[in-house]
Amino acid sequence: MKKMHILGLVLIAVVIASLLTFMSDLTTYDSIESARTKEGKFVHMIAKIDTTKPVIYDPIKDPNLLTFTAIDSLGFSTKVVYKNAKPTDFEKSTRVVLKGAMVGEVFECKEILLKCPSKYKDDPNAQKNQLKVVSEIPKLNAQP
Amino acid sequence: MIKFTGEHLLIGQIGNFITILTFCSSLLAAFAFYRSASSNDILEERPWAKLGRVSFIISAVAVVALFVTLYILIYNHYFEYKYAHQHSKRSLDVQYLLSCFWEGQEGSFMLWSFWNAMLGLMLLKVEKKFTSPVMFTMSLVQLFLASFLLGIYLFDLRIGTNPFVLMRNEFPDAPIFQDPNYLAKYLTDGNGLNILLQNYWMVIHPPILFLGFASSVVPYAFAVAGFWKKDLVGWVRSCMPWSLFSAGILGLGIMMGAAWAYESLTFGGYWAWDPVENASMVPWLILIAGIHTMLIFQHTGRSLKASYFFIITSFILVLYSTFLTRTGVLGDTSVHSFTGEGSTLYWHLIAMILTFIAIPVILYIKHQRQIIVNHQEESMNSREFWMFVGSLLLLISAVYIIVLTSLPFFNKLFGTKWAIGEDVEYVYNRIMVMVAMILGMLTAITQYFKYKDTTRKYIWSKLAIPTAISIVLSILISVFGEVSYDKFGTGFLLAIHLAIWTAVYTIISNAMYLITVLKGKMKAAGSSIAHVGFGMMLFGILISSSKKELISENNTGIGVPGLKDAKGREENPLENVTLIYNVPTPMGKYTVTYLGDSTELKNNKVYFKINFAKADSSDPSSVEEFEVNPNAFLIKSPEGNQLSSNPGSKHYISNDVFVYITSWLNPDNIKDTASFRNTPIAAGDTIYYSNGFVIVNKILTANKYDNTDLPLVDSAWLSELTVVSKEGRTAQVSPAYFVKDGQGSFKTDTVMQQNLVLGIQRAKSGRVELALKESSAVMRYITLKAYRFPWINLLWLGTIIMVSGFMVSLYQRLKSKLYVV
Repeated sequence: MKKMHILGLVLIAVVIASLLTFMSDLTTYDSIESARTKEGKFVHMIAKIDTTKPVIYDPIKDPNLLTFTAIDSLGFSTKVVYKNAKPTDFEKSTRVVLKGAMVGEVFECKEILLKCPSKYKDDPNAQKNQLKVVSEIPKLNAQP
Repeated sequence: MIKFTGEHLLIGQIGNFITILTFCSSLLAAFAFYRSASSNDILEERPWAKLGRVSFIISAVAVVALFVTLYILIYNHYFEYKYAHQHSKRSLDVQYLLSCFWEGQEGSFMLWSFWNAMLGLMLLKVEKKFTSPVMFTMSLVQLFLASFLLGIYLFDLRIGTNPFVLMRNEFPDAPIFQDPNYLAKYLTDGNGLNILLQNYWMVIHPPILFLGFASSVVPYAFAVAGFWKKDLVGWVRSCMPWSLFSAGILGLGIMMGAAWAYESLTFGGYWAWDPVENASMVPWLILIAGIHTMLIFQHTGRSLKASYFFIITSFILVLYSTFLTRTGVLGDTSVHSFTGEGSTLYWHLIAMILTFIAIPVILYIKHQRQIIVNHQEESMNSREFWMFVGSLLLLISAVYIIVLTSLPFFNKLFGTKWAIGEDVEYVYNRIMVMVAMILGMLTAITQYFKYKDTTRKYIWSKLAIPTAISIVLSILISVFGEVSYDKFGTGFLLAIHLAIWTAVYTIISNAMYLITVLKGKMKAAGSSIAHVGFGMMLFGILISSSKKELISENNTGIGVPGLKDAKGREENPLENVTLIYNVPTPMGKYTVTYLGDSTELKNNKVYFKINFAKADSSDPSSVEEFEVNPNAFLIKSPEGNQLSSNPGSKHYISNDVFVYITSWLNPDNIKDTASFRNTPIAAGDTIYYSNGFVIVNKILTANKYDNTDLPLVDSAWLSELTVVSKEGRTAQVSPAYFVKDGQGSFKTDTVMQQNLVLGIQRAKSGRVELALKESSAVMRYITLKAYRFPWINLLWLGTIIMVSGFMVSLYQRLKSKLYVV
């Protein structure tokens, strides 16, 4: 066998080993319900913020504590604790990916990814809605 | 049919015409160059080549015209056009109008096609041997890029998106378009540029990055041309300068993106292994591998297949990265949220990728027998052996990065739901630190080997000194450098230390190679310079990341003395600290004070003034003091105002302090529910409030008849009060009350730490009253994060040196004919 072949085999082994270690770090996207069944396991939870429930962030008391309620499309909801500052555009987001784990009844979130309509500028539906809002303004103004 | 007023329709029609012209002329150019390249008869080949040349020049001119036309729409704020409405705004500064241009999908494809046209014109001018086949590829790319801008319907399928569509055609159902005067009435302003993109890096970074992307097709075109013209050897020489150019520019573009992230976005650093960053880096890694295997081929005749593979793959990966970032498949994983244009762009890009894979694969199958394979084994003491090992390592790291980055795409393909686990950066870093370690080692030693074979004695005689110096230096760094990043255990820390050594080794040994072996001659210096730069980049990355320090460490909830700790904290220090206006707050080694803010009304940007002071422990009289001015855009929305924060930084040569605002209580937002409580007072009185008392020292009354110092008001009541809190803090305040033309007005005074607002007032009875309000609304504060990045400047300096190295090599290759095989 040639050196190059040995080298090739070694490198392939390295790739497989590194991908295998990576596999052990993989996690899954989950709904609130399935995250509950995996209590303590790190998951990515897709949900949105329940705006009917209070979003509490008081930087004077604690700049590293945000609590809110997340709700998903299946109708499940959970209280979420995020030990960091409230992200920009938090209330505006239409969807959030919460990275963390269920601890008891509370989802302890390590990272929040927001999906905001403002960033989806090219989304035709968002655009349409915006035009509707624009078009409603004159009606309001017309009233005495 | 409604007749609309105020629209500028002519410019859009011109735009549409030019779009179609670009498409047709690229199509003709591609066809003509194909015929020319396929023909072996010079009489047949020439006229086709000439036609191709003319067509390509027309398409290049058309692309420039397209560029200008779209810019006119944006510059003149023609909001009847969707592109202008979506990406621009009247209040935007002129320099950002260019950023609007490439914020959108269409504009960035146009930028790419602009560079492709320019590179094509360059090739037409300089390339003599492979003109037709190379230009065929360039024209084909031009054709694909033009097709992204077509926006025409083929049956029910829309091909591309046209940047010249009108709002009213795009949203015909919207009620505003019932009004013939809609433009002047409703579409008076655009949506504007995403606030994160309003940064000078956004003006300069995309053109450079896109030049990098666009130029990666040229090496590919030469590889294809080599097969096509059955010149499996000659293409490498023509390909080399273009590869060097592309690698230099792409590297620069990527690092400009990193600098932008570092300076303007709140990622907390320059590199976050974000899919968009990864997708641009992977083609670069492969291109670098390709440059090294081509060098091997030029000097030894080996690694031809590998060169083909790397050069072709590099361009395919550029297309693939476009696919990942443009079609929305990355969805939930990236902080960059690029939107999908829906399934058309998805299949459109897949078609493009498959086309550019098919061309070399078909040619390879046809011509593979002609590829020379050297079956003789290379010596371990040869330069080519170690260069090849390095190239393979680059390939492995590229595969690792792209597989992880593509995870969301795999999820889409196979219906799985996998995601990278808890610490995304560590998942990359633990592999990449090994790659850096071995690459550093290889980069340090390989130049000292000669091609084919080298005697061990020679290598050791040359390598001994740099090895010794680098070992001594890195031991010093390890011992005194306080690199103690142990978050992921001792193994990872050890790997960091070893990687620091090999980075130092790379810098020292390549610099010494330049001096001792090349004797400072510039002829072959490019690679050594690039390698020194690369070493510095590695060193800068390793040091700045492992010694990155959180200044705003908060273990107590809030860093203000006197306020109680938040309950039960876990192991990780929390990263935000709240600063109350004018209250010096200890933070790490500093005492930090929020001194105020000012708002730039034009674009609602708030600048914060934050003072950092550090007393020298050995000499208390000398204080290191500086001011940092982070800023933030204030976005007004129905849900309440939001901040979009830009960091402020203090740059030193050896480190940067980096601050950004995570939360700000905007005084406009506060609903003050507390009300004033009035008490009649006289000098000497004491009035209590919840946390202490107020002593009335003095009350002065004046009117303009007996006091000429009062020209502005008729009469005035002035007071001097002392506020004493329970903790024993005192504050002097002097509220006042004025009357002019029978109208009274307050001058209130506040004691921030006590949430106290004080005023005086004259009651109807004629007595003076103290008005006292306890309200949290007087509390002005910000919440911020602060970091220190040591030696980050080495990363930027390394980048500049590395890119210069590429350019030196490029220049030497263009100048000399030395590199003939």
